[in-house]
Order: sequence, then structure tokens, then C-alpha cells
Amino acid sequence: MLLLVATILLASSQIFLRNFLGTGISWADPLLRLLVLWLSLMGAMAATRDNNHIRIDLLSRYLPSTFKRLSQKVTDLFAAIVCILLAWHSARFVYLEWQDASVLFSSVPAWLGELIMPFGFAVMALRFALSVFLGRYEKKEEV
Amino acid sequence: MILGGLALILLAVLGAPLFSIIAASAMLGFYRSEIDLSVVAIEFFRIAEMPVLLAIPLFTFAGYLLSESRAPHRLVRLTRALLGWLPGGLAVVALVACAFFTAFTGASGVTIVALGALLYPALTQSGYREDFSLGLVTTSGSLGLLFAPALPLILYAVIAQQLGIAGNITVDAMFLAGILPGLLMLALLSVWSVWTARGQPLTSFSASEAKTAIKEAAWELPLPIVVLGGVYSGYFAISEAAAVTALYVLFVEVLVLREISFKKLPQVMRQSMVLVGGIMIILGVSLASTNYLIDAEIPGKLFQTIQELVSSKLTFLILLNIFLLILGTMLEIFSALILMTPLLLPIAIGYGVDPIHLGIIFLANMQIGYFTPPVGMNLFIASYRFGKPVTQLYRATLPWFLILFAAVLVITYWPALSLTLVDVYGR
Repeated sequence: MLLLVATILLASSQIFLRNFLGTGISWADPLLRLLVLWLSLMGAMAATRDNNHIRIDLLSRYLPSTFKRLSQKVTDLFAAIVCILLAWHSARFVYLEWQDASVLFSSVPAWLGELIMPFGFAVMALRFALSVFLGRYEKKEEV
Repeated sequence: MILGGLALILLAVLGAPLFSIIAASAMLGFYRSEIDLSVVAIEFFRIAEMPVLLAIPLFTFAGYLLSESRAPHRLVRLTRALLGWLPGGLAVVALVACAFFTAFTGASGVTIVALGALLYPALTQSGYREDFSLGLVTTSGSLGLLFAPALPLILYAVIAQQLGIAGNITVDAMFLAGILPGLLMLALLSVWSVWTARGQPLTSFSASEAKTAIKEAAWELPLPIVVLGGVYSGYFAISEAAAVTALYVLFVEVLVLREISFKKLPQVMRQSMVLVGGIMIILGVSLASTNYLIDAEIPGKLFQTIQELVSSKLTFLILLNIFLLILGTMLEIFSALILMTPLLLPIAIGYGVDPIHLGIIFLANMQIGYFTPPVGMNLFIASYRFGKPVTQLYRATLPWFLILFAAVLVITYWPALSLTLVDVYGR
């Protein structure tokens, strides 16, 4: 949540600076783009928690309920495996960048900005795995 | 390969999250080509390398804030005061207000829930038939997709850009291209409304009501002027316009009008970010799968196969319409765009279809896909929201569907409608 506020404020102040003072903060643009990545993964984690990912979901609507529970377990298990793989490979990517000591902007190392990827995917993998074993987190009714 | 593909499709229709399907197919592809799988992470990280994407969380947040506030009430009151005196005025009000609202919130059923709840009772009370009113609010739920700053327009431009085969296709160009086709749809539906409503009693124009309505909406009125004016004049970049919108809406609704309390704010933020996360994670993994597709030259092979079957551009466009219409009933617009654009765009270019024109065709088709019987999503949302059986909605939306279908055909077979403004002001 703080991230979103920071993004709005930083983006607006950048416009203000550019248009009225003719300057800009050099690290603001790359930081903003990085914030988009962080917001995306945070949002995706929240979507996993709410069981609110975009699905095609054509068949499952018409399945009988026992079969439906089974298919939920299968698809969640699948999603968990995919997330583990994504987390593993992004962790390797981050590790490589750490070895290379590459830099995103000013003195922020690239691996720090990329850390959200393995972390986000790992959390999502965990949530999917949990829902396989404990059943889906029931979404509270929204009014 | 085929077996793996079938398994993935089965998992998808069983309800596996779409991003996991796309990620799995990308990883499977790279694995077979013996490319290190960390390429998926590298591609995903490209989300942080596209400045225009900043617009997506910001516009989404602004849209959620607007729909949580009383802005929909004010919007309806204002358009009613200004247009209500026309024959069929209220119906036209509904269309204009919905188009406007959808452009700012992105079509995701929000319009039906937020505006339909206001407009439907107003319409039936003023003596419009129930079916007419139902059809109108359901149809309007996706009207306005073609107007700036609708997210699908932005998303299409982003995807087309990163394919790198479509020349210079910018968000600004998409915004320009959407204007006339969008107006065409709006105009056709308005004519139909006015014609259906002939014989309705007219309410007279009241200057005092118009004045209060304008005063009431005074804080929101500058918004479209600043955003649209800023973007179309080139004063703001898209992401800058999004930042201004988000900051302004936040300021007005929370601090000035105080319709959203500080306590509620985190909840609205979270809701909007869930949607953003859902879209962006699909976009991220599809950057990887698109990279694989291009690597394996799949779009080119696909084009060759299709070209053997379909020779003329005209037949291609007809098939495209049918395909997109079916797609639109099954997939929600963002995932459809992310999935299909990388495949369709190279084929369409092969047939000499302008990439910008293709985007407009795509979105126009998706728009009516939202309420195409039997499974269009907005039919179910409206049925749920207004407590009417879905079958009644099939009947109620049919005339509206036919009109918009005609509009889609015009848009498809008359490229100049989409491209004239782009040629004059852009490129």
C-alpha cells in the first residue's frame, strides 16, 4: 500500500519538476519502473491469497462438486509447481546479478530490485501448496 | 509437444490460473530448445523496463477510487441535466455516462454494477420497457473501451510494441484511432434509443438543475479535460497523465469531498492492486512465452499454414471477426489481448492489415463478446445484479447486439475510420 502512495507521489513530483523547473531526479524514472514490478508482484500475491487470479475456467463451472474439489486441487498443485520453478529460476537470475554486481541506478544494486521476483513467486507457491492441502481460502463476501 | 499442449489446455479449462499455464508453456518451450530457464525471469523483469506500464496501476487505482465514491451519481445527474430534455434523452444519458465511465475504469463489469444500479431504476420509472432498459445497461457495460484512457488500448500498444514488427505503434496512436469507431458505436446506439423512445413524454430543460449539477460535479469536471487534453495535445506522456489522474482523484475524493475515508483507502488500494497484479503477472510471463514464440518462428509458420487455406484479406477479416467474437465470450479482455496479440498481429500484417486497425478490430469484437449469448460475462453480471433470468437478458440484449455487430463490421471493413485521425495527427 505504501508502495502505491510512493509511486503516485514520486510520479507526480517528477512531472512537476520536469514541467515547471525543467529538471528531474535522475533516479526517479528507473525507480518508478521498478516500483511497477514490485506493485505487480505484491498484487499477484494478494490475488493468490484472495484466490482471484484470472482464469479461463470454462469447464469447472459445470462439474459436480466432488469432482470440482479434485480439479481445484490438481490445478492448485500445478500452479504451485509452476511458481516453485519460477521462484527457483528467478533466484538464480538474482544470484547471477549479485555475482556480476550489476547496478540498476545510482548505487542501488540490481539484485536488490530483482529480489521481489523469487520472493513473490515463492510466497505464491506456498499459498497454492497450502490450498492443495487445506482447501481453498474462502473469500469473504464483498458488499 | 502435442501431449503437453493438450494437458495445459485441459488444466486451463479446469481453472488453473492463466499465468501458470502461460509460464509452463514458455518454460516447456525453452526447456526443449535447451535454453537456460532463467531467461523466463529475465523476460519477466522487463516489466521494470517499460515506462508506459506505470500508467496501468495508476489508472486502475483512480478508476477504483472513482467507482467507490459518489462520482457515478454526479455523472448521471450532470448528463441528465444536460441531455435529458432530448427525446430518448435518458437512454442517451445512460449510454454517454457509461461510455465515459468505462473509459476511465476499464471494462470489467464495474460499470454495470456502479452505473447500472442507478440507471436501470431511472429508466424503468421513466416508462422505458423493462427489456429495453436491461439491454441498454448490459450493453453499456462495455461501451467506451475504445476511448482514452481505457486500459485495453494501452495494453495492446504495449504488446504490439514489444513484438517489434509493427513499426511505431504508440499508445497515443491507439487513443487517436479509437475515437471515431467509438463515436460510431455511441451514435448508432443513440439513434436506436431515440427511435425506440419516440412518444415518450419529454422533460423540459432546466437551467437551474443544470447549474446545480455542474456545481456538484465541479471537482470531477476538470478531470477528463486535463487527461484527454493533456494526452491528445502531447503535453503529458501517458504515464504522466495517469499520475496526475491518480493524485487528483485521491486528493478530491479523500480530502476535499471526503467520500472515501482514510480507513477505507487501504482496502480500495488493495482491491485495485489485486487486479493490477493479476494482469501484470500474465503480461510478465507472456513476455517470456512471446520471446519463445518468436525464437521458434511460430507466428511465421502459422501465417504460412493459414495462407494456404485463406487467400484473400477479405476472407481473413471475416474469419478474424468470427474467431474474435467467440474468443470474446470465453476470455476476459486483458488475457485475450495478452494471449492472442502476439499470434494474430504477425498474421494480420502478412495480410496487409494495419497494426493499429487490428487493435481496434480486436477491441471492438471483444466489446460485443462481453454480452454475446450464451456465455458473455456481462450477461451474467447483469443477471446477478438486477435479479433477472439470463434468458431474459439474451432477449433484451439482442437488438443492441445486432446494432453493435453492424458497427464492428463497419469498423473491420472500413480501415479509414480507425486510421484517418492517426494519419492526420500522429505517426
